[in-house]
Amino acid sequence: MLRQPLTRALALSSPTRVAPVVPAARRFAEQVSVQPEKVEVFIDDKPVYVLPGTTVLQAAAQVGVEIPRFCYHERLAVAGNCRMCLVEVEKSPKPVAACAMPVMKGMRVKTNSDLTRKAREGVMEFLLVNHPLDCPICDQGGECDLQDQSMAFGSDRSRFTDIHFSGKRAVEDKDVGPLIKTIMTRCIHCTRCIRFASEVAGVDDFGTTGRGTDMQVGTYVEKMFLSELSGNIIDLCPVGALTSKPYSFAARPWETRRIDSVDVLDPLGSNIVVATRTNEVLRILPRTNEEINEEWLSDKSRFACDGLKRQRLVTPMLKDSRGNLTPVEWEDAIVAAARALRDCPPDKILAVAGDLADAEALIALKDFVNRLGSENTYTEQYFPTGGSGTDLRSSYLLNTKIANVEDADFVLLIGTNVRFEAPLLNARIRKAFIHNETDVALIGPKVDLTYEYTYVGDSASLVKDLAAGTSSNEVLKRLESAKRPVVILGADQLKTEEGAALLAYTQELALRLQDNLQDKEWKVLNVLQRTASQVAALDIGYKQGVGEALAAGPRVVYLLGADGGVVTREALPKDTVVIYQGHHGDAGASIADVVLPGAAYTEKRATYVNAEGRAQQTLPAVTPPGLARDDWKIIRALSEVSGAGLPYDNLDEIRERLSQVSPALVAYGDVQANNYFAQARALAKSLQKPVSGKLDVQLKQLEDYFMTDAISRASPTMAKCVQAVLKQKTSPY
Amino acid sequence: MSLMKYLALDKVANFFNIIRLNGGIRGSLYKLYRQDEIKDGVLIGEDKFGNKYYENPRYFYGRNRWVEYADQYYLNYDASQVPAEWYGWLHYKTDLPPHQDPSRPKYKWMAEFTENLSGTTGQYTPYSTTRPKIEPWVPKKAGQ
Amino acid sequence: MLQAISRVTTFSKNGLSRSLPILSLSNGRYASSDPTCKKEAPIIENDAVLALPEERRMQNALESTIVVPVKVDLSPITGVPEEHVKTRRVRIYQPPKNAMQSGTNNIHHWEMEFDNRQRWENPLMGWTSSGDPLSNLKIQFSSPDEAIEHCEKNGWIWYIDVPKTEKDLRPKSYGLNFSWNRRTRVSTK
Repeated sequence: MLRQPLTRALALSSPTRVAPVVPAARRFAEQVSVQPEKVEVFIDDKPVYVLPGTTVLQAAAQVGVEIPRFCYHERLAVAGNCRMCLVEVEKSPKPVAACAMPVMKGMRVKTNSDLTRKAREGVMEFLLVNHPLDCPICDQGGECDLQDQSMAFGSDRSRFTDIHFSGKRAVEDKDVGPLIKTIMTRCIHCTRCIRFASEVAGVDDFGTTGRGTDMQVGTYVEKMFLSELSGNIIDLCPVGALTSKPYSFAARPWETRRIDSVDVLDPLGSNIVVATRTNEVLRILPRTNEEINEEWLSDKSRFACDGLKRQRLVTPMLKDSRGNLTPVEWEDAIVAAARALRDCPPDKILAVAGDLADAEALIALKDFVNRLGSENTYTEQYFPTGGSGTDLRSSYLLNTKIANVEDADFVLLIGTNVRFEAPLLNARIRKAFIHNETDVALIGPKVDLTYEYTYVGDSASLVKDLAAGTSSNEVLKRLESAKRPVVILGADQLKTEEGAALLAYTQELALRLQDNLQDKEWKVLNVLQRTASQVAALDIGYKQGVGEALAAGPRVVYLLGADGGVVTREALPKDTVVIYQGHHGDAGASIADVVLPGAAYTEKRATYVNAEGRAQQTLPAVTPPGLARDDWKIIRALSEVSGAGLPYDNLDEIRERLSQVSPALVAYGDVQANNYFAQARALAKSLQKPVSGKLDVQLKQLEDYFMTDAISRASPTMAKCVQAVLKQKTSPY
Repeated sequence: MSLMKYLALDKVANFFNIIRLNGGIRGSLYKLYRQDEIKDGVLIGEDKFGNKYYENPRYFYGRNRWVEYADQYYLNYDASQVPAEWYGWLHYKTDLPPHQDPSRPKYKWMAEFTENLSGTTGQYTPYSTTRPKIEPWVPKKAGQ
Repeated sequence: MLQAISRVTTFSKNGLSRSLPILSLSNGRYASSDPTCKKEAPIIENDAVLALPEERRMQNALESTIVVPVKVDLSPITGVPEEHVKTRRVRIYQPPKNAMQSGTNNIHHWEMEFDNRQRWENPLMGWTSSGDPLSNLKIQFSSPDEAIEHCEKNGWIWYIDVPKTEKDLRPKSYGLNFSWNRRTRVSTK
């Protein structure tokens, strides 16, 4: 009822103002074709039709009845050990656990009867017998399931008589790493953390020892829980047993302002909630988006936020006569930069965009450089320019889309360590691996992907053989027989000499498979970018291959957050003026002559396009520190001073410009299906040269994962994580 | 009542007396310029900063004790330059000037009197003791 | 019912057509399905039943009132400073579930909030100040249409953020933990 008016309302309004409604995720016809007959059950006398095998709790959720729970989590396996979800079922002598009980025809469930309430009260009492009453000093206070549910369902009086505390349970705290603080006495043994670790994170470290009162959740041996998804167990813990170490004793949830935003530290653009207080980012939590991150968040995205407070550029800087960067006013810095740009011959200007640049800044910089008469706008990342190059969107995106990877039945990874390049995509593949019996094969260096896979080898010629269909490897057979195969090529491979050929072969392989599929909507080809800015930069038309431009000896280099170390002082002529615009003092700022402080992703309203080509916007949660300003505004001001004024003055106008370049850049939340695969394949034919190299990836181990960009390099928490991983390596376990 | 008073000639006498006490016509004009009034009175004492304290009971209560600030202050005098020990006499808390008061306590820990330094370079400036929320990047010095 | 329909025509003529017809339609539906509104069968006059279609249309046209479309704009009289009407951008959204908790009872509504404005720090006490009178304004609505109507009336620029929270229901089974031939078998206890 709601959806219809909403879509109409949106269709009528202007596209710049409104994010269009996205059609619900793709469902596969053959999957639902043999739909079993639905069963009628009654929840509080409300009839509901559900699939057979559905649990009572799920059926209740469908009619909007929420049954209290601790151990049950909809994204984890059913455990059924907290007993909080006990409900009365007619004609059943005892209350049943709703989370584990499948529905039966005509079942009448009473979720609010006297028996149900008595059962809940009893369970609550048992849980609280051994739970410390330290809510005032507990970090979970205010967002604690146990607190809320004891208020709602618990008893209003205590039968606790052991005032000498002779038998109250106490459990030793565990050291599970620099991110998670444990207060194990508070644990109610819901085992959510154990199930998350073994099912989603794929690190089978957690478990229980002992029985009854002696039961403990722990890691058996003294070992840290080191995973790229470890932070999620803080969210999962319904009590304060697992809390965030960097956020400990920082704030109460009701004191914080929550701003919905988008993460930019990996290419997936996970949805996040930024919790701020007193103009300071305190923590980052995931926000449910079924099409991207479900409700998980990777550790870098979650904990690198303290990097936003360190190593910041807070004032414009200019190199003085002695070669030191000294703080100056905006006017001086802008005038110096504008003078350098104006006095430079157009073909000697070079603009390089980095990992965290937003689409607005990218387009402003490109338009500005073009107005100065130059075409030299590059990204730090690389993409082959031969064949269709970056002209066809399908050749540089995750065409299958993140959510659909779950439905794949065979996944071939080529030269990518998905686990660290896009942890949540890896979680999806793992989900498919567990629940859909999806098999995975890997070409590239042997890495730990948290699930078993068929290792094909690390030679690039394997891709060629697979593409040509001449390979004798059984993976080829599996690919060809698969109904919904997925091929993912890592962007790490594209920067090598053979990158163009590898991309061409991958396209050939994927499209040969795609042509033979019954499901014509299914896309096989995927290229996994490494950074949040790359897709937007390619959409806007940034050129690739900054190396050649550097070799041409530019006179002015404009770095837009380019901290990847691609541009170095050694590679530039002595008298080159380097203008750095960004938010952190990192590789880029340390070689700069002019520093213009910009805003980080929590400080601006900016567009980022994720690896699937989905445009999303961040919202400003805090104010940029000191004199820092929005990035596109800096470029706009600079263009005015250098006499090449850009024709947009506010955010709406620059987004209008973005939509002229590509409407997909402002279709927030939406992702378009890509086409022209056949054309890209045909154009790539000429690039299919023999390849002989070996595939290698940059992020192999967990310690490589934590510090990959300017923000996470400035973060002390991430540094501690790296230390912890290295320390764990020396441990005998 | 003397004839002088009756004819108000004592006022004239006072006038000349004031002029005389304040250093003749030049001196009087100078004092008038500096402190907007000239009075006649008995010098009660002088503090260590050179301020002179006078008394003349002829004037009305409240105006009969006053201070003439030391020359070093020129026009920049203000009430906070009166040291604490003279403050009491000047404000009628006591009739004994400090040098005549035997019971006035003197300890070695008593701090030196300072005037109010607001508005000067010696003023107290409040500062925040909270940690800065943002640590800025400090660029490396050249040649390091 | 007739009233409802005439309301529809009014709204669809004016500048608010973007959202309101639907809103009013749903009102109409509500009125008809609401059991408390049920009365006895309406008495219909014989003339009305027997009249030709043209006559009936003629009669309707004579009876109904003509409504001049007027865009409702409250901004001149609300007292909100002009700056905060013209330069603010309203986000209409459904509040996300708190990732730290499993309860969802407090998120079944729509909210509007304004864009975040600059905050600064008091140099003496370190307290954070804001010059934004609307920073604490969050209004809850039962549907996005209501929120849109409210924003249109107040002259604010709005946009909708539709959360992607729909997911297909996969029946869960306790037995999967112990299946002998599937990867869902639990590895840890």
